[in-house]
Amino acid sequence: MAAEEYKISRAGPRVVVTVPAEIDAMNSDEVREALLSATGPGVTTLIVDMSGTTFCDSAGVHAVITAYRQAAQAGTEVRLVATKVLRVFALIGADQLMLTYPTLEAALADTPAA
Amino acid sequence: MTTHLNPTPVEDRLRDIQSITDAALSRLDEHELLAELLERIRSILQVDTAAVLLLDFSAGQLIATAAAGLEEEVRQGVRIPVGRGFAGRIAAEHRPVILNQVDHTTVLNPILWAKGIRALMGVPLVAGGKVIGVLHVGSLTSRVFTSEDVEMLQLAADRAAAAVHSLTVRDERIAAAALQRSLLPTSLPAAEGAVMAARYVPGAGAVGGDWYDVFVLPSGELSLVIGDVTGSGLAAAVIMGRMRSALRAYALETSDPAEVLARLDRKMQYFEPGVAATVLYAVFDPGLDRVRICSAGHYPPVVAVPGQASELADVPAGLLIGAALDVPRQVASLQIVPGTLLCFYTDGLIESREHPIDHGLARLCQAVTPQPPDAACAAVMAALVGNESAQDDIALLMFHRPPTGTV
Repeated sequence: MAAEEYKISRAGPRVVVTVPAEIDAMNSDEVREALLSATGPGVTTLIVDMSGTTFCDSAGVHAVITAYRQAAQAGTEVRLVATKVLRVFALIGADQLMLTYPTLEAALADTPAA
Repeated sequence: MTTHLNPTPVEDRLRDIQSITDAALSRLDEHELLAELLERIRSILQVDTAAVLLLDFSAGQLIATAAAGLEEEVRQGVRIPVGRGFAGRIAAEHRPVILNQVDHTTVLNPILWAKGIRALMGVPLVAGGKVIGVLHVGSLTSRVFTSEDVEMLQLAADRAAAAVHSLTVRDERIAAAALQRSLLPTSLPAAEGAVMAARYVPGAGAVGGDWYDVFVLPSGELSLVIGDVTGSGLAAAVIMGRMRSALRAYALETSDPAEVLARLDRKMQYFEPGVAATVLYAVFDPGLDRVRICSAGHYPPVVAVPGQASELADVPAGLLIGAALDVPRQVASLQIVPGTLLCFYTDGLIESREHPIDHGLARLCQAVTPQPPDAACAAVMAALVGNESAQDDIALLMFHRPPTGTV
């Protein structure tokens, strides 16, 4: 796992995980693991930062959804930051599951996309 | 048997093993290869028994696969849990084990001590950094295995592991392709007033989990399915086969496409947790005037009507299969006027690392025109694939209702 692709930064109870530019079946397990490793006791909000992601196939969407399900079971809110790949999440119906934001700043300030 | 080793130089012995494994790769199947290798190990190490157990990853058990001088182990289907007994310890600890005392306290498998084996030596079979099995040899007379013996056996094991691994990969690829072929309809059923055509292209040399299916329900309704199981290879093809069968079964129970996908989703999440798939299910009225479509995370079909620009059908995006329990599923109902072509496809056709997904969708809409389905398939493949080899696999299914007066 290339560490720089999964920058994990924590600000109090909120954790931001930056995922790679391209996500497919080759690295979707890594993405899921990185997201899950960021959740845990004391984390109330997991922000999945896909603002730098330009390609994400159905395996990538599933990795995010799997992480979402486990986080949600633990009571952790999941916020998705996506622009270029947001359409893929919408086509797969995954945008109905979690709040989406156009920028990381918006996600941190909790102002969802209209 | 004496404990005195044949004074053959080590190089000669290595050459023996090398010659078996290397030549065997191209012409022997797994069982023939292992049988030949075990015979040679028996004579080189001057031991009475030799056996290979291969790891069944899902069960966490070692399964006796080949044996020389200990054939009953294979015939009786011996299974050893990883971590227990002699072979189980080798697999779990990933290192050679020598036993100079063989009885029920040291060996789990009664065949070994009932046989009168006095000393055992075993090494892990490792391929790609993973333990894939265990190779062990035994002596019916008292014997102390040396570190040189262990080295020799480990060399043989490394060669056997590489051969078994590559044969497994090859077999799985062949099995996945055969399975995929057997599950895709070779000829699409004739439905009065409809003409259909399909294409399937494996991605990057390996088949994936894309599939399509067409069948007529007892009510006379025409059902059409297209889907994509995440992942590739044999595992994805097997899951795809199960989904195809389950969907067919649920299709006989209810004609509501949303209910069919809801049942399929529930079944998959219960029996195949962790699997993700997109599926689109369409049911055409017997007269073909109307189609009801439900999508579980699958891209909507392209609708081409004579005299109009082709566009994506307005099908609500439902969550993909395997993502969450009890998700609401909506059905879109579309009118089909004579001359209409519907194009169903999987994401391999439109996804690109260079362009956003809408670019691929727009290109597809441009390429789809109302025409006979074979010609439509050819036009779409030419426009979107051209001469490039696809990374992901591609399934394409065209439904055409010919213009009035031409059927």
